[in-house]
Amino acid sequence: MSDDFEKLGGLNPPKASRQARARALAAAMQAFDEQQENATSTQGSARPVRQSSIFNRIWSPIMNRKLLAGSALATLLVVPAAAFLTLELTRNGAPFGESAQEIALKDQPRQEAEPQAAAKKAAAELARQREARTVEAPAAVQAESEAAVSAEADALANRMASDSAAPLSAVGAVQPQMTFLPAPVARHELLAAPEENRERFGKAESNPVKSVATDPVSTFSIDVDTASYAFVRRSLMEGQMPEPDAVRVEEMVNYFPYDWPRPVTAAEPFKATVTVTPTPWNGGTRLMHVAIKGYDVVPAEAPKTNLVFLIDVSGSMDEPDKLQLLKSAFRLLVEKLKPEDTVSIVTYAGNAGTVLEPTTVKDKAKILAAIDTLQPGGSTAGAEGIDAAYALAEKAFVKGGVNRVMLATDGDFNVGPSSDEDLKRLIEEKRRSGIFLSVLGFGRGNYNDALMQTIAQNGNGTAAYIDTLAEAQKTLVEEAGSSLFAIAKDVKLQVEFNPTAIAEYRLIGYETRALKREDFNNDKVDAGDIGSGHSVTAIYEVTPKGSPAVLNDDLRYATAEKPGAEASPNSGELAFLKIRYKKPDGDRSELITTPVTEANAVPSLAEAPTDVRFSVAVAAFGQKLSGVTALADYSYDSIIDLAAASKGADPFGYRGEFVNVVRLAKGLGSSKN
Amino acid sequence: MRAGTDLDAELVEKAVNGDRQAFGQLVERHYDFVHAVAWRWSGDVSDADDIAQEVCLRLGSAIRGFRGTSRFRTWLYTLTLNAARDHKRRQARDDRRLQAYASEQVTIAQPQDPDEEQREALWAAVRELPEKQCDAVLLVYAEGLSHAAAADVLGCSEATISWHVHEARKRLKTVLGKEAV
Repeated sequence: MSDDFEKLGGLNPPKASRQARARALAAAMQAFDEQQENATSTQGSARPVRQSSIFNRIWSPIMNRKLLAGSALATLLVVPAAAFLTLELTRNGAPFGESAQEIALKDQPRQEAEPQAAAKKAAAELARQREARTVEAPAAVQAESEAAVSAEADALANRMASDSAAPLSAVGAVQPQMTFLPAPVARHELLAAPEENRERFGKAESNPVKSVATDPVSTFSIDVDTASYAFVRRSLMEGQMPEPDAVRVEEMVNYFPYDWPRPVTAAEPFKATVTVTPTPWNGGTRLMHVAIKGYDVVPAEAPKTNLVFLIDVSGSMDEPDKLQLLKSAFRLLVEKLKPEDTVSIVTYAGNAGTVLEPTTVKDKAKILAAIDTLQPGGSTAGAEGIDAAYALAEKAFVKGGVNRVMLATDGDFNVGPSSDEDLKRLIEEKRRSGIFLSVLGFGRGNYNDALMQTIAQNGNGTAAYIDTLAEAQKTLVEEAGSSLFAIAKDVKLQVEFNPTAIAEYRLIGYETRALKREDFNNDKVDAGDIGSGHSVTAIYEVTPKGSPAVLNDDLRYATAEKPGAEASPNSGELAFLKIRYKKPDGDRSELITTPVTEANAVPSLAEAPTDVRFSVAVAAFGQKLSGVTALADYSYDSIIDLAAASKGADPFGYRGEFVNVVRLAKGLGSSKN
Repeated sequence: MRAGTDLDAELVEKAVNGDRQAFGQLVERHYDFVHAVAWRWSGDVSDADDIAQEVCLRLGSAIRGFRGTSRFRTWLYTLTLNAARDHKRRQARDDRRLQAYASEQVTIAQPQDPDEEQREALWAAVRELPEKQCDAVLLVYAEGLSHAAAADVLGCSEATISWHVHEARKRLKTVLGKEAV
């Protein structure tokens, strides 16, 4: 039985190649030399992090042995022990049985000159400190632990070995995120966190099919964020299907520029266009496509802008697709601003710091130089950073203009009072004072999407995810207007379906934006904003009455109640669309209403406008990625065909890229099955 | 290696005290050993290259903290095992991504000799064992260490090693069926 195991010894390892050997030796020497520099530089408090963690690990078993219960007791014990040890060693070099030394000098005390010296030094140091009666607990602990550690070193050689290896890998460049502590988060977010990947997404189930008979009204807040699409694209480019939780269909749809009919004057901030078409993935239903286009503020009328860049420079940002990209992105944005606009920069990492006081864009060189000096390092104190940023924004406050904090980060707020709730409250409060906040997400692996969403939603801002310079160009330059100048705020949509025409409906996306029916008319309830030139698209899948696709059975007792419904004057309508919004500086909401009738309908999807068809393709893709069962039988190929046929002019190539992204998903999706 | 042990002890002591040349010599002397261990653990030459380099790096930055002069070998084992383990984890992560790209798995060329083939299968099975068991089996059978020495490397008691080996045996029996073990 053991014979087979013996065979394990039989294999002769191959010789290492000469190059590999030379490389390894060079690496060893370099590491050795680097360590040499550390050793010769200042000792004590400026120790490298790795070492202190070794001390901690060795320190804790000592504590566990109950030899030293607390720092005060420890001081009492170590000082006499060290003194006694010194005495013993100078006398005959053979210390013996007392508990502290038994452990301290278990092995070969004679061979080690160092522990004695260290103990002596520590004892002297401690004595001096006590004399001065300025014994500070942490200093004492540090000194004792050093003494104890060096004395114990031999006994602990084994442990040292594994310890010194382990933390190395933790701080090594391979896994920079390891040093990044996650912020306290709400429980549902923790549950949603995937195992290896520490990105967090708020969990939201896809909207269910609702019966018009029981739920005739659908209410939600508009969402102009686009972060989800960039994130999905990046994930697919890297060869991974995105987490279903990372997919927000409405953000994917709204990522693309559409040329919906525009409002003519600023007095009418936006225009809604409704198209009803057959559903490509379900013969028995129709899509009610609601497109809203915001009024495009001509650059000349653009108000004066006061921007505060709040930039995360924590250690984890030290990657080409993070801080470097961010710098380039902000350079693009600065180019876009007018000379009289002001820019300030606050960084946060460990502690927050102001890099640039409010400076007018006339002084462009100064701003660009400040952007260049940004260096990564430290951990993240986002909450403090936000405070500092708001302080600067208030300092340069432009009345009647745009006051906005642009937060750029790769992840969390992990130092300071940063429960999501606290942050939310702070941001909400500032929003009321007129300072809005937008979020730009960078990098992968640690991105706390849920928190970023919350922050942007509460700050009346947008959350965008930037993975390439092209994306930065799109978000910050081409769409600068929309992300900077809000033309309407707290925009809510409410659709009431006519039960005589529609049996069931399902809102595609907007799961995180659902509002209660009564919130629609409540001006205190916050909702999304529409910026200059923004377009927003919402799609309902509706099942006409009598269609074979109806899922819910008719209610037995409902029909008897209203026999005269057919006679109502609105019988020709499918649904009634209501939009409530506030002017950027207003507190009272205004209402726009549009009835949806058969006049809005087109007989086949092919006859719908190009933009409608393309947005339907994106919606189909998003739903497929998030695992909506209704689309299980609709193939990626159909999506590709639909999207490819509706690319239109596509001046920036976004739509062509989308087709490629779907192809990627097709390849990845099928290999998975 | 007997005669070398004294020299090793001397080199280690010098290296610990910052002697650059002694350290270089030490690494040079032990590189092949580390590489061989890394190869047994990973079963792949280029992986072994990477692991050995990582070990050298760790050696360079950690040697000054080393206090167990006589047990340099043991320490090397520990460092190498840790590095191999880290490497494996990293690789598992990368693999998952790669697999998503490649729809077809490349089949690895199998050795022709049936005896060799069986040995390969055994090795593969051992590498699939839970970490601790795999370490114990490899140290005891592939490296030829005594249970006590293996216990020293893994920082546990001798009885634990024996138990791991026993468990590994039981497990392999079910994995490989009756033809092996």
